[in-house]
Amino acid sequence: MVANTKEVIDQDICVTRSSADEKREWSYKDELCVGCGICADICPVDAIELEPIGGIVRTGAEKSKISIDENKCVLCGMCSVGCPADALDLKIDDKSIKEMDSYPKLIKSAEIDDETCVFCKACETACPREAITIARSLPDRSKLVTGEIEIDKETCIDCGICEEMCPADAIIMEHHVPTSVDPTVSADIKVDKDKCVYCLICKKSCPVDAIKAVCRTCSYGDYDLNPEDAEIEGSSFIDEDLCVNCGWCQEICPVDAATVKKAFKGTLTIDQDTCTTCGACVDICPCDVLSFPKPAESGQIVEKVFKDEKYCIYCGACEKVCPVDAIDVERTDVDYTPTKSNSWKNKMESLKS
Amino acid sequence: MELKVNQDNCLGCGVCVVACPVNVSISPEVAGGHGSKTEETIMMVENGVIKLFSEDKCTKCGTCQMFCPTDAIWLE
Repeated sequence: MVANTKEVIDQDICVTRSSADEKREWSYKDELCVGCGICADICPVDAIELEPIGGIVRTGAEKSKISIDENKCVLCGMCSVGCPADALDLKIDDKSIKEMDSYPKLIKSAEIDDETCVFCKACETACPREAITIARSLPDRSKLVTGEIEIDKETCIDCGICEEMCPADAIIMEHHVPTSVDPTVSADIKVDKDKCVYCLICKKSCPVDAIKAVCRTCSYGDYDLNPEDAEIEGSSFIDEDLCVNCGWCQEICPVDAATVKKAFKGTLTIDQDTCTTCGACVDICPCDVLSFPKPAESGQIVEKVFKDEKYCIYCGACEKVCPVDAIDVERTDVDYTPTKSNSWKNKMESLKS
Repeated sequence: MELKVNQDNCLGCGVCVVACPVNVSISPEVAGGHGSKTEETIMMVENGVIKLFSEDKCTKCGTCQMFCPTDAIWLE
């Protein structure tokens, strides 16, 4: 029998078994682990244990959320297939079993269609895992509103009224204290034509009519505008490692550009009477499903913990962390790719509660 | 992880006793700010300082540590 070797780097763990035939490498990334304990439940040889995730997450302890007994582990990879957060992986001869058709895998995905996306960044802001990055390039402001503006420096008395009134901060003066050599209060006055929106407030407020300005868009309307100049270009990126397919992006997207497919279906029940509002579940939930509700008016009694189940992935981390067993997560459906192995099928089915 | 206390740091305020979700389920009167009436609770203030009684019941959720103002109770 070839012995397994375990290597721990920070909070990440790696277990390997090398023989003449093949090399198996099991890896755990703590940063991605949501503390659901599905790996410990699915492990056929009880090699994995879920550590006290509440204490670890809430106190910021430098400790892995799971532990593995490398002497018990048979490197089958079942835990990596059940993991809803991709924190676990098994590689056989440097190839992940998630890329092999003979192994089942959870059917889950999150996609943003760049053709439909308007790059508003709502999903980037909402994503509880910070897995989304939206890159966008905005149109050139000066091409969207055009006009002409000129300040007659001979007439200008350097009063600074236009500079103070300009809503776009497009007028810049070089103020200074007058001396006998240069008895003026400003050396120069400039208009930043990239910022100017030709609103004509400066022209109207100038006490000596030193400003001549005209807005072309007001005169010619949108005909003056090349639609191509107004286009916003961008691209979206979802970090598949960080994404747990919670569905926030899909729900918040104003143009239905995001599509999320979840692997588990089920129910989340909170016993409001048993709950002591310690907040462990709120802190552990990877999907921002749980929160403490705020009463609309003083004296109003609200539920202890509020849940918005449409974001729930039914991982069960809240149930595991609750010190008083007030939470019940039932998984009624597990969606996975077919496998010929009955033992794997049985294990995947065992994820249903 | 283990629940630890440092009585030298403890103010005896009893916030951990009240905040602990397990304590409340064992001895509901602690939620009202009263001291525990039973040694079945995880911790209690005795003679002005915190003392662990039934620490085996601790689920290591970290709530006591979050509330303690003087780092007198923590998970290690």
